[in-house]
Amino acid sequence: MWGKNPEPKPNTPAAKAPEPVAVVPPKPPVAAVPVPPPAPASAPVYSAPAPQMNATASRVGPGLKIHGVISGESDLIVEGETNGKIYLSNARITVAKSGRVQADIEGLEINIEGTVQGNLKASDRIRLGAASNVQGSLITPRFAIEDGARLRGKVEMSRPGEMKIAESKPAEKVAAKAPETKVESKPATDNKGAATVPAAPSAPTDPNLRAAAARTQGN
Amino acid sequence: MAMDWMNKAKSAVKTADPLPSRSGPSFGSSSAATPTASNVRVSNGLKEFLWLISDKKGGRLLDLGPAFQTTIMFFIEKGFKLSTEDMLRSWKEFLTEEEESFRKASVGSEAVRVSQASLAEKFLKTSVVYPESSFDGIMAWDLFDYLDAELLSRVMDRLYNLLAPGGSVLSIFHSKTPDRYNRYKIVDGQNIELVSAPTIAVHQRIFQNREILDIFGKFRSSKTFVGRDQVREGLFLK
Repeated sequence: MWGKNPEPKPNTPAAKAPEPVAVVPPKPPVAAVPVPPPAPASAPVYSAPAPQMNATASRVGPGLKIHGVISGESDLIVEGETNGKIYLSNARITVAKSGRVQADIEGLEINIEGTVQGNLKASDRIRLGAASNVQGSLITPRFAIEDGARLRGKVEMSRPGEMKIAESKPAEKVAAKAPETKVESKPATDNKGAATVPAAPSAPTDPNLRAAAARTQGN
Repeated sequence: MAMDWMNKAKSAVKTADPLPSRSGPSFGSSSAATPTASNVRVSNGLKEFLWLISDKKGGRLLDLGPAFQTTIMFFIEKGFKLSTEDMLRSWKEFLTEEEESFRKASVGSEAVRVSQASLAEKFLKTSVVYPESSFDGIMAWDLFDYLDAELLSRVMDRLYNLLAPGGSVLSIFHSKTPDRYNRYKIVDGQNIELVSAPTIAVHQRIFQNREILDIFGKFRSSKTFVGRDQVREGLFLK
């Protein structure tokens, strides 16, 4: 009666299809504003400090909206709004409390304090602060979430090497059909040049080991 | 079959943490929080739930409570894939947004207060949306006591569809009106921590045992544990 059932199990919750984005021809960053490293957040549960940004981190300031793909090597702090994709494979990405992101994010470290709708993929770690609100899948080797954070989505732990392989191929494919990036800005702040890379699809490997299959045949 | 259940249950209770831990780095450990003894309770329901999913390594779980580091890491370290969705909080926010839209609607417009049933339908169009049979286990925690009848029946149907055959639901019911609202955090394989939280929904009703069995009528079997704190834990198997 309470035996385990052998039927195969389908897959994962449907991931949101990334919206096509308008992209501007790649151009150098308008003004990479040096940002002082943020103070480590006080966290009741989380033991690791918030990731430190280096001095050359770029910033999408409050009041700035970016539609398109953000890529490159620089660390990024989002305090405004971003739609599209953020692809900074070797950089730290921080979405500040005022930040609103509707985009898949890929990076080395991802630190969320604001609101994100999209899948997060980090090759090192993801941290969700207490005020964060995330809707989307998380794939990372290391993960931290503070009490109070809202997460609606799937959490998968990857191994440190897995992401590197996945991210290189789709990058080349989409680079060819890069649309334009549209930047809307109230106060002039900095934005980054565009390139195109889709979020590497998360491999829904679901090895469903059902050791007790035979037991439930009679149920 | 009943004996089979009993025997397995006994062995599960003896084994505090029957699932092997996943090796590898962990950023923030499930033991990071140090709960005080006063707000930690032994959970027979959790032990039983862990036993039921123990042969589904790599399986998928859905946590309908808030996202707690300890709970997420507990399952991730054991190789499960976990999805979280704080359903009660989403429901509250949904109602707030609906209320707001009604308030903004001009007098005489076609916007009229909709029924509880239509609200429930609308809510479930965007919440707890996953393919059928997606999960091997669902942790509902303290949820069903707080849902009105219209939403409850629809949620039960939804959860039943989301569960793979043989999957199970862990839920908590109160045998008396709770003094305060708690969220639940897994401490280890047999303990859960009660975390006081601001009340985000009104406690709707106290379910009697028979009523609990009725709302889980589609499920193959059920088992409940009543604690000294008048908290009833239920396990329901599809």
